[in-house]
Amino acid sequence: MQVRDVIAWLQRFKDEIADGYVLGPVRVVLGALLGWQALTAAEELEQLGYFGDTFHVSMLPAALVPSHSLYAVLLALRVVLACMVMFGVWARPALASSALLGFWLLFCDRLQFHHNRYSLFCYALLVSLTPCDRSWRATESDVLEPRTGPFWGVRLAQLQISIVYLASGGSKLLDPDWRGGLVLADRIARHAHLAIAAGVPRKVVDLLGQEGSASALAKLAIMTELLLCAALWIRPTRVVAMWWGVWFHIAIQLTTKVETFTLLTLAMYGVFATPDYHARTLRFDPSRFWGKTAGTLVPLFDWLGRFEVKPWQPDDHPGHSVVVVRRDGGRVTGVRAFAMVARCVPLLFPFWAPLALVASFTRQGDLTTAT
Amino acid sequence: MWVSAQVALVITADRRPDGAFGFRMFSESSTIKIVLYREVAGEDGQRKRVHVEGGVWSARDAGGLKRRFAWTDRVRRRELAWFDTEMSTKYGTNAQLARLQAALDDVATHMADDAETRRFLLEVTVRHNGREPYVVHLASAERAGAGS
Repeated sequence: MQVRDVIAWLQRFKDEIADGYVLGPVRVVLGALLGWQALTAAEELEQLGYFGDTFHVSMLPAALVPSHSLYAVLLALRVVLACMVMFGVWARPALASSALLGFWLLFCDRLQFHHNRYSLFCYALLVSLTPCDRSWRATESDVLEPRTGPFWGVRLAQLQISIVYLASGGSKLLDPDWRGGLVLADRIARHAHLAIAAGVPRKVVDLLGQEGSASALAKLAIMTELLLCAALWIRPTRVVAMWWGVWFHIAIQLTTKVETFTLLTLAMYGVFATPDYHARTLRFDPSRFWGKTAGTLVPLFDWLGRFEVKPWQPDDHPGHSVVVVRRDGGRVTGVRAFAMVARCVPLLFPFWAPLALVASFTRQGDLTTAT
Repeated sequence: MWVSAQVALVITADRRPDGAFGFRMFSESSTIKIVLYREVAGEDGQRKRVHVEGGVWSARDAGGLKRRFAWTDRVRRRELAWFDTEMSTKYGTNAQLARLQAALDDVATHMADDAETRRFLLEVTVRHNGREPYVVHLASAERAGAGS
């Protein structure tokens, strides 16, 4: 790749305009998490008192640390801003202000620093630079037209996700204790009683705690983070990477206390969704049970606006309950249609890969990630 | 600019004890046990170490009145105020030791009414990633005017 190509790539990056519908749900989740963080801080204020009155580690000069009463006002303001972000009222300024306030307060007391909180403020700031206010607005039922806007902020948010994975996976790779499985083995050993109490069979816990298993798990975790960092950018591997990433984060959530990091990362996967609205069509037969079910449920849970859902006129000919017309114009039915719905509906996405595998064994099935 | 700043923060994370802004999640599986001591003047004038149980102690103020003091009067966060019990170091041993040293200095500076304690000491037993434990001794600065 020559310098000229890099400049052309960056130019494309800067000038890209795309459909912002898919960013609406991402913004709503960020708003909810910002509100949650603000309420958690308010709870700490009530339980522990104002941090400035006791031992704290500020990264800022004392003059820039808010007083007790101002801090309380700022927390209340953060809750209000989070609601504005969620409901789509001046969503982008509210998102940016929320992020900047969050950074400020994080710098005021390093003892309150958590990677997930810092990540949330980074993502919030970057998403505020995108057309994330075009959809999912409580104040206006219709989607704003035009839905499009500059997408360079989205590319920055995508880069930020990759940086997080690269930093986390890279630091583990460079640490012999992590690479060799010592860190994981000790964590498993120390938390074994909790896992057993939660219903995990003792044999499984013992197996995972063995040196060889812990070492293999450590290498798998490192590989996952490093692969996700790149695979999310490549179109043919993106959906597989997302599916693997979803289960990776679910596993972390079930075994470790990570506050809201799982939800945050999974929501941010939305910025990797192709920015097209209703690019696929789902036709259903309203006279059939499965057709009617799909016709009702898919529009409810299709949060990213992947499908245009339309009934067709029932006739006497035997046919299908549901037909999905893919982006490439191909028509799929049965388990292949279900796999396509699972691919696009966030709540069903964890089941996409096994469904796609089953679908690949059908007469017209294939093992590609055709869209 | 954003990306350059992020990359710089990630690369330099090692220079910060808590690895802040470096996204180093679950970097360790270490534990620590903190034991708090006060250094006071004994009856023979020699200094002696007194174990502070549960982070609470009594000492005379400048007027000779016996008063009650608590570590949590200054240090509220649980991970820095949980004594004599082994606990996880969420952000790694270095972060925890740096924060404990800062907390120790803060307590030594702000317990103005304690006229007995000359220094505060922390004995920190560290078990790094499940290895054999070792002990780190932390001490506050000498408290001006105390014990005189």
